[in-house]
Amino acid sequence: MLDFLANWVANSLGMATPYALAALGLIIGERAGVLSLTAEGLMLVGALAATAASLVVGDYPIPALLIAMLCASAVSLLFALLVIVLRVNQVIAGLAIVFFCQGLTDLIGTMANWTNRPVGGLAKLPIWPLSDIPIVGHVFFTQDIVIYLTLPIFVLVQFVLTRSHFGLRLRSVGENPEAVDAAGISVPLYRFIAVVSGSALIGLAGAYLSIGVVRMWVQDMTGGRGWIAIALVIFARWRPWWALGGALLFGGVEALVPRIAATGVRLPQYFMLMTPYVATLGVMIWVALDKRTGSDEPGALGLPHVREERR
Amino acid sequence: MLDNTALPPRSAKSPTARGPHLGRLTLEVRQHMPIWQHAAILISLIGLGLAISAAILIFAGVEPSELFQEIILDNFLVRENFLAVLRQTAPLLFVGLAAALAFRVRFWNLGIEGQMIWGGIGATAVSVNHIGPESVRLPLMLVSAVIAGMAWASIALILKLRLRISEIISTLLLNYIAGDYMLHLLYGAWLDPVDSFPHSAQFASYERLPDLSWGISTALLLALVVVGITWWLLRVSRVGLYMKFVHANARMAHAVGIPVVGVTIGAVLLSGALAAAGGFVIATGLEGRLTQGFFRGYGFSGILIAFLAQNDPLVVAGVAFLVALLFDTGRSLQVFYQIPFAMVQLIQAVIVTTVAASEFFIRYRVHWVRRSA
Repeated sequence: MLDFLANWVANSLGMATPYALAALGLIIGERAGVLSLTAEGLMLVGALAATAASLVVGDYPIPALLIAMLCASAVSLLFALLVIVLRVNQVIAGLAIVFFCQGLTDLIGTMANWTNRPVGGLAKLPIWPLSDIPIVGHVFFTQDIVIYLTLPIFVLVQFVLTRSHFGLRLRSVGENPEAVDAAGISVPLYRFIAVVSGSALIGLAGAYLSIGVVRMWVQDMTGGRGWIAIALVIFARWRPWWALGGALLFGGVEALVPRIAATGVRLPQYFMLMTPYVATLGVMIWVALDKRTGSDEPGALGLPHVREERR
Repeated sequence: MLDNTALPPRSAKSPTARGPHLGRLTLEVRQHMPIWQHAAILISLIGLGLAISAAILIFAGVEPSELFQEIILDNFLVRENFLAVLRQTAPLLFVGLAAALAFRVRFWNLGIEGQMIWGGIGATAVSVNHIGPESVRLPLMLVSAVIAGMAWASIALILKLRLRISEIISTLLLNYIAGDYMLHLLYGAWLDPVDSFPHSAQFASYERLPDLSWGISTALLLALVVVGITWWLLRVSRVGLYMKFVHANARMAHAVGIPVVGVTIGAVLLSGALAAAGGFVIATGLEGRLTQGFFRGYGFSGILIAFLAQNDPLVVAGVAFLVALLFDTGRSLQVFYQIPFAMVQLIQAVIVTTVAASEFFIRYRVHWVRRSA
């Protein structure tokens, strides 16, 4: 039983990491007022880029992760151009980018023959001597680099968002772009920075999925995790720590299913595959029924800023 | 909700210290635009989208000279190919109309694929269980498909109306759930007893949509009738006018006594029904059975068709035909050039992007304001 629990928690961390990083990336963009539905597509870009880097250059995980982040940011520039400069409806632009990325990654993956080819991926890095602690060492200190880095990334983003001038301005851009503009701060610039840096994290999430969890590229391998991350942001009410908690919850659910199946309990397979989506819907219903106030939802989320159009 | 309500003091730099001072770009909201200029902008950006698509195809290894041959000559001059395009048009018409109806009441129905899946399941359930006599089997399958699609669409609808849950996410999540449920059936109870493949048993001849005399499918005829009805509904009937109000401003519509909730419910259920009919048409007209991936790509194509047609049913018909042309070309490129079918999705995304961008140039005029020294 203890073994079962230890294995489950250890695997939950790995499953939770893509959700956590993608949700955090989305929060950065959305706190600046850009409603980004792009996560599903950008995760695919990150996943393919990391696998491609590993296959072409060799198994150097850190460069592969950085390349994935760069590629996702590069694609998000297109999204930023559409919604920040050209003021395209953010839902339409987000969907178009997702489908663009799905088509592009499928096409490149097939034509370059990168599909279904195993890569070495991220290695487990035991932190000695902590890794020698019974159970705890195995669960928390025998993981890979991305899992170790997730917590510092959250601390850093939370600090920048809430404790720095830059973060204050970024959040102000999301709350009331007119006031920020009047104060002489460039709304487009802050939104650009928020979208592109957030997208790097989303790309990292996708990369982790391909070279950290599955260890190969399969077309459409994100399987809706990007949409779940968007739901997580709503659940977290745009607060990073809540998003981390939600991600752990979802990671736990996802890691539990194969664990139970491994113990020999017969479960209808395809109903088990539904659990993340059903759980997400359940969480959204719970959030909607929860009457407590106090959300950090940005006031200008999804609204384009046009200085010349006075409201 | 900010921690500090006051903005931090800006650094002491004077405005003139920022950047070179040649001037700046400003936007001007256009009050009026001649129709030819509107058309010119739209056409040039669609042209840009097509040019990018052609560049991608050439990059993927298609000879530029054969592009024209593949798309235009082969599809219009060879009778079988043209009929294949028409056959492909029918399901695209259904999903395009489904998207258009939902968008008319500002409901982002991204669950078209899930509703199509339920349409397929509904139709196949009647076939597998041999419900009803042979003579009315096909209509029964359609009715069952439509009811299943409406039921599935109503989940997201209730969540939105009752709990204000964004339909953008809920409809997408429901797609995955519907897909997994279909796999559960296809790998379980509905596994083909003949070849043990995970698709349903082949439909009997009376369970398939027949072709008319010149090889035009009944599906297309059905789709065109639905186009006519939808046109009447949106353009002639009172409900269409109501929907116009709801689209413009739901609160205002409510204030002037329009049954906003009722109109929304009706439009979304109809949207689900049409999407399900699209699934029915593919299963009974094209595939002849329920297959695993029959719905793939149709959801986005439906949104694209409605978006390009600006939710107008008659324009939807034209755009659906063009997208069918693209689908068919994509299939032949797959066969002759080994180019993955994902290319079709990529091209659609490129064109949506450029057309969406055209609205910026239609809405605003970009000015270069020189600063006087």
